[in-house]
Amino acid sequence: MTTPLPTTELAHDAEEPVRDARGARPGRATWRAFRKLPLGVASLVVLALLVLVTVAAPLLAPYPASFGPDVLLPPGAGHPFGTDSLGRDVLSQVVWGTQQSVLVAVAASAIAIVVGTLVAVVGAYVPRIDAVVSMVVDLTLSLPVLPLMILVAALAGPSTSTVILVVAAFSWPEVTRLVRSQALTVVKLPYVDAARLMTRRHAWIIGRHVVPAVTPVIVVSVVVTASRAVLSAAGLAFLGLGDPTTWSWGRILYEAQTSGAMGSAWWLTLFPSLAILLLVLSATLVSISYDDARKPRGAGR
Amino acid sequence: MRPRRAGATAAAVSVVLALGACAPQAPDGAEGRDPEADGGTLRIATTTDVVNFNPLIGNSRSDSWVTGLMYPRLLSIGDDGSKEPELALDWGYSDETTGWYEIRDDMTWSDGRPLTADDVAWTMNAVKRDAPSGTFTGQMTNFESAEAVSGTRVEIALTQPDSSVVEEIGFWGTIVPRHVFEPEGSVADFANGGDGDGWVGAGPFVLTQVRAGQSYTLERHEDYPLVAAGRAAAARVVYRVYPDINTELLALRSGEVDVIANSLPPAQVARLGDTDGVEVAEVTGLGYSHMTYDMDHPDLARTEVRRALAHAVDYDAIRDVVLQGQGDSTLSSPLMPVLSDYHDDSGAEYEHDPELSRELMESAGYDAGPGGRFPVSFRMIYPLQDPVTSQWAQLVQDGAAEAGITIELQGTERNTYLAQTQEGDYDIYAGNFAIMDDPMTNFALSYLPGGAINYTHVDDPELTALIERAARTFDEEAKIALMQQAAELVQAEVYDNVLYTQNLYVAHSSGWTGFVPKPSELLSVVNPVSIASAHRVPERS
Amino acid sequence: MSIALFVARRLGRGVVTILFAVTVTFLLLRLLPGDPALAVASPNTTDEAREALLVQYGLDRPLIVQYVLYLGQLLQGDLGTSFTQSVPVVDVLLERLPWTLLLTVTALVLTVLIGIPLGVLAASREHTFLDRAVQVVGVTGQSLFVPSIGILLLLVFGLGLGWFPIGGAAGDNVYGAAWYGSVVAHLVLPAVSLTLIQLGSYVLTMRGTLIDALGADHVTLARANGLPYRRILWKHALRNALLPATTLIGLQLGFVVGGAVLTETVFAYPGIGRGIYEAVTQLDFPVLQGAFLLLAVTVVVVNMLTDIAYGFLDPRVKAS
Repeated sequence: MTTPLPTTELAHDAEEPVRDARGARPGRATWRAFRKLPLGVASLVVLALLVLVTVAAPLLAPYPASFGPDVLLPPGAGHPFGTDSLGRDVLSQVVWGTQQSVLVAVAASAIAIVVGTLVAVVGAYVPRIDAVVSMVVDLTLSLPVLPLMILVAALAGPSTSTVILVVAAFSWPEVTRLVRSQALTVVKLPYVDAARLMTRRHAWIIGRHVVPAVTPVIVVSVVVTASRAVLSAAGLAFLGLGDPTTWSWGRILYEAQTSGAMGSAWWLTLFPSLAILLLVLSATLVSISYDDARKPRGAGR
Repeated sequence: MRPRRAGATAAAVSVVLALGACAPQAPDGAEGRDPEADGGTLRIATTTDVVNFNPLIGNSRSDSWVTGLMYPRLLSIGDDGSKEPELALDWGYSDETTGWYEIRDDMTWSDGRPLTADDVAWTMNAVKRDAPSGTFTGQMTNFESAEAVSGTRVEIALTQPDSSVVEEIGFWGTIVPRHVFEPEGSVADFANGGDGDGWVGAGPFVLTQVRAGQSYTLERHEDYPLVAAGRAAAARVVYRVYPDINTELLALRSGEVDVIANSLPPAQVARLGDTDGVEVAEVTGLGYSHMTYDMDHPDLARTEVRRALAHAVDYDAIRDVVLQGQGDSTLSSPLMPVLSDYHDDSGAEYEHDPELSRELMESAGYDAGPGGRFPVSFRMIYPLQDPVTSQWAQLVQDGAAEAGITIELQGTERNTYLAQTQEGDYDIYAGNFAIMDDPMTNFALSYLPGGAINYTHVDDPELTALIERAARTFDEEAKIALMQQAAELVQAEVYDNVLYTQNLYVAHSSGWTGFVPKPSELLSVVNPVSIASAHRVPERS
Repeated sequence: MSIALFVARRLGRGVVTILFAVTVTFLLLRLLPGDPALAVASPNTTDEAREALLVQYGLDRPLIVQYVLYLGQLLQGDLGTSFTQSVPVVDVLLERLPWTLLLTVTALVLTVLIGIPLGVLAASREHTFLDRAVQVVGVTGQSLFVPSIGILLLLVFGLGLGWFPIGGAAGDNVYGAAWYGSVVAHLVLPAVSLTLIQLGSYVLTMRGTLIDALGADHVTLARANGLPYRRILWKHALRNALLPATTLIGLQLGFVVGGAVLTETVFAYPGIGRGIYEAVTQLDFPVLQGAFLLLAVTVVVVNMLTDIAYGFLDPRVKAS
C-alpha cells in the first residue's frame, strides 16, 4: 500500500467543466468571480507592471554602464537606488535585470510545465506507464535539489541556457505530481470512458477532454513553478553560477556579495530582493485568488 | 496523539544524546592555563577551509597560512622582492652546479629535538624523490640532490647551471621534521593529520586542535628565536573559517575576530579604514594581472593586431575604478616596479588610444566596413571566482568595442578555467599571478616555448636566447641587463600585456599591533614573524 | 497487509531511491567537464604529475569499471578517500552531518510549532481578513531570499545589538557544559533564518489540508450532530490534516537539508550543505558522492519513519 498523496488546496473534486447558472462558459464565470477579489486584482496589476518593465526596459532606464565615478552611493538624487561597488546605477540594473529574471523564469517553467503535464496526463491515461512515472517522480523529488543544481551548473558552465535547463529539470516532477493526482481522477470519469468507447484516437481524447479538465491545476502550477524558478535562478546567480554577461536580479546580489558590500550597502540587497519578492508574491497571490474564484464558495464553514 | 508525542519525544531525546556525545573535552593540561593572562588569543578569519596540513602538498592559501606558522622557510622576501634570511642565514653558489645554505643553529622542534641541516637536506631529497603535488616540487627541475655537510650547512647539487634555483627553493621550500615525516613513507601521501601525538613544528606556534570547517587552534611554541623576545607575544592563535566575506567583515567589526587574513575587496578598503576599531595595513603586491594573446590564432599571430588590442584598453579606468586606485602600472612590463633592481623606469605603458588601434588594424589589412567593426572576434576567458578580474574583463571588452574589435567574454568557474588554460582553449587569456618574485624563473616559465605558463604560445628565438643566457649568468648586473632586454622585447611584441600590480590591504582590529607585513597575500600580515610579533595594545589604566 | 510486507516494500523502494541518487551523482560528475587533477595542481605541475594524480584517483579507467568498483566499495561500507583532504570520506561527512541535522531539525521544530497555530487560525477563519493576512505572510515567507535575510539578521542582532555571535557553530576553546550554551547561542540566528524561509510553505499547506479536512463528510456530520466547532477543529480536522503535513516534511527534507547550503554559507555553519559547495569547487568527487549518498539515505529513512508514523496514525491504513 502506498502513502496517499497529500491533498493540497490545488487538487479538488474533478468534474467536467460545466456552464454556470448564467450559461456562461466556466472561464468567464471564473473571471467574474476573480474580479471581485481585491487581493487578486491588485496582484494581477503588479504582475502586469512587471511584465511591462520587462518589455519596456530600454525606455525606462539606460543599460548599466561598465563603471561610474561614484562608488557605493546610497540612494539619492541621480541614483534612486544608489550605486554599486563599480559606480554603476542600481536602478538600471534592476530594470534590465527584470528582463533576464522573467525570461529565465518563464522559459524554465514553460519547459517544466509542458514536460510535466505531458508525462502526468499520459501516465494517468495509460496505467502501466503510470507506475513508472510515479516512481521516477518520487525519486527525483527525493534528490537534494540545490546541491545538484550547483553541481550541474558549476560543471556545465554558467550561462543562461544552463540555468534554464537546470531549473526546468528539477521543476517538472513537482508539476507532474500536482497534475497527475487531478488527471487520475479525471480519467476515471464517465465521460472519458464514454469517449474511449467512441474512438480509438487516444491523443484526441487526451487533448480534448483530459487536458481541459486539468487546466486549472496547470494554471496554478504554472505560477508555483515560475515562482520557484525565479528563486532558484536567483540563488544560482548568487552563488556565481548565473550568466555573467547579462544583468539579472541574482547577479546584482552576487556582485554585492563578492565585493563584501552586503553588510554595509543595504541598498544593494534591498532592491533586487524586493523585486524578487514582488514578482513571486504577486504571482502566487494571483494563483490563490484564481483558485478561490474557480471553486464554488460555501465549503469552508 | 500519544504515539506521535512519544515519537517526537524519542526523537528529541536521541538528538540530545547524540549531541551529548559531541561536547568536546578540554585537552590535557589546558585547564590550568589561561591564555588571556599571558599574551592573549589572536583570532584570524579566513574564507577558505584549511584542509591539508602537509606543507609540501597543494597550493591553498589558507593551508599555507596555518602550516607556515609551524614549518619554517629557508628564506623570506623583502618589500623589493629580494630574498631575506629566515631559517637560512646565508646562501649562495660555490660553483655553477652547486649551491649552499647556512642555517641557524638555535631552532628546535616543539618536541625538543633540534632543527639541523639534516632536516633540510632530507626534506629536499624527499620532495625530489616523491614529487608531491605543490609549488615546492615545481622548483626542483634542476635539483639533483642535497647533502648536510655539517650541522648547519646544506649543499645542493644541480643537474645544470641555474642562477635562481637556490633562492627559489629557499623561498618555496618549507622544512619538515625528518623524524616525524620519514617513518610515514612517501611525503606525497602523508596527510599529517596529527593522529596520535599531534603536530611537531619549529615555528612560533604549533597546531593543537582542529575543528573541521570551523576553527584551527595553535598554541605558542616557547622557543622561537626569530623574534627578539624569543617567543611569540600571543599565547594562542585561532584561525576561523567564514566562507562569506560579508560575514567575515561583520565579525571583525563586532570584535569577534582580530584579523582578516584574505585581502580586502578594493571598494571596502576606504570604508574599513574609516571604521572605528579597525586598522587597515598595506601589503606590497608581488604579482601582476595580465592578458595574453594566443599566437596560435592566425589573427593574433600578427603583431599589429596584438598592438591594436593593447592600445584599446583603458588602463587608467581599470586602475581607478576597479581597483579604486590600489593598483600600480608596471609600464606594461613584466618587471614590476616592486622589483627595484630589475624595473626599468625608462619604459612606457601602452597608451589608451582607440584611434591608433583602428589605424593598426587597417594597416594590417583589416577593413572595418560601414558598421565600424572589424571582421574579427576573439574569445577571452577569465576566472569568475575572482571579482576584480571579472570586472576589468568587462572594461576590456568595452574598450575593444570602441576600437571596432569584438571580444567575446567567457567567464568560467575555477576548474573549467584551469582546464581551458592548460589546453590553450582561448583566444585571449585574462588572469593574474600572485607571486612573481624571481624574474628569471618567471620569464623561463612564461616565454620559453613549452614553458608551463607560456599562455601566449610564443616561440621567439631571440627571446629564447636572451632568457637562456640570463639563466646561466651569475653576475647580477649582467643578468639584470639581459632581463631588461628580454622585457623590452616582450613589450614591443606584446607577448604579454601586464595591466597592473595590485597592492593588497588587510584589516585588523585596533586592539592588536606589532604586525610585520611582508609582500604578497601568501605572507602579508600572517607570516610567522608577523604573528609572533603581534601583541595586544596595552589597555590604558 | 502485514506489517512485515509493508516494511519490506518500503525498504525495497528506499534502496532503489538510494541507488538512483548515487548513480545520478556518479554519472554527472564524470560526464560533465571538469578535471579534479587540475583543481589541486599548481601552475608548475607537469603533465606527468597530473596524469599520475588521475590514476591515483582511479579516473583513468572506463566508466563502467569505475562504477562497478564504486558499488563494490559501497557494499563494503567504504566511501572512499577525499581527493583534497586525503582522509576517508566518512570522516569528512561525520564531522559535518550533526551540525546540519541540528540546524534543520531545530528549524523544522520551530516551523511546526509556529506553523500549526497559524494554519489553524487561517483555516478556521477562511476567507476573512485574518486568513488573507496569514496567506500573504506565508507567501512572502516563501519568496524571501536567503542570504539577504541572513545578513540582515546578523547586522541587527549580531553586530547591532550584539545579542548573538556572528558565524560558526560553537565558540573555540569552550569545553564541557559551557559548550552547550555556546552551541545554542550560535544556533539561534541560522535556525531563525531557516525557519522564516520554510514557514511560509508550511503554513499554506497546513491551512490547505485543514480546509479540506473541515469540508469532509464526517466532519459535517459531526457538526450536524451538534458537536462544538472547537472540538471538531482540534480533534477531527487537525488530526487528519497533520498526516499529509507529516509526509510533506519527509518529502521536503531532501530539499531542506540540501537547501541549507545558502544558510550555512552566510552563517559560516559547518554543515553538509556547505561541505557540498566546497567539494564542488574543489571537484572532490568522493566527498560529493558520499554527501549525496548520505542525503539520499537521510531522506529515505525519514520518509520511512513518516510512513510508519502515518501507518500508526491513519485509521484507514491500520485497518487494512
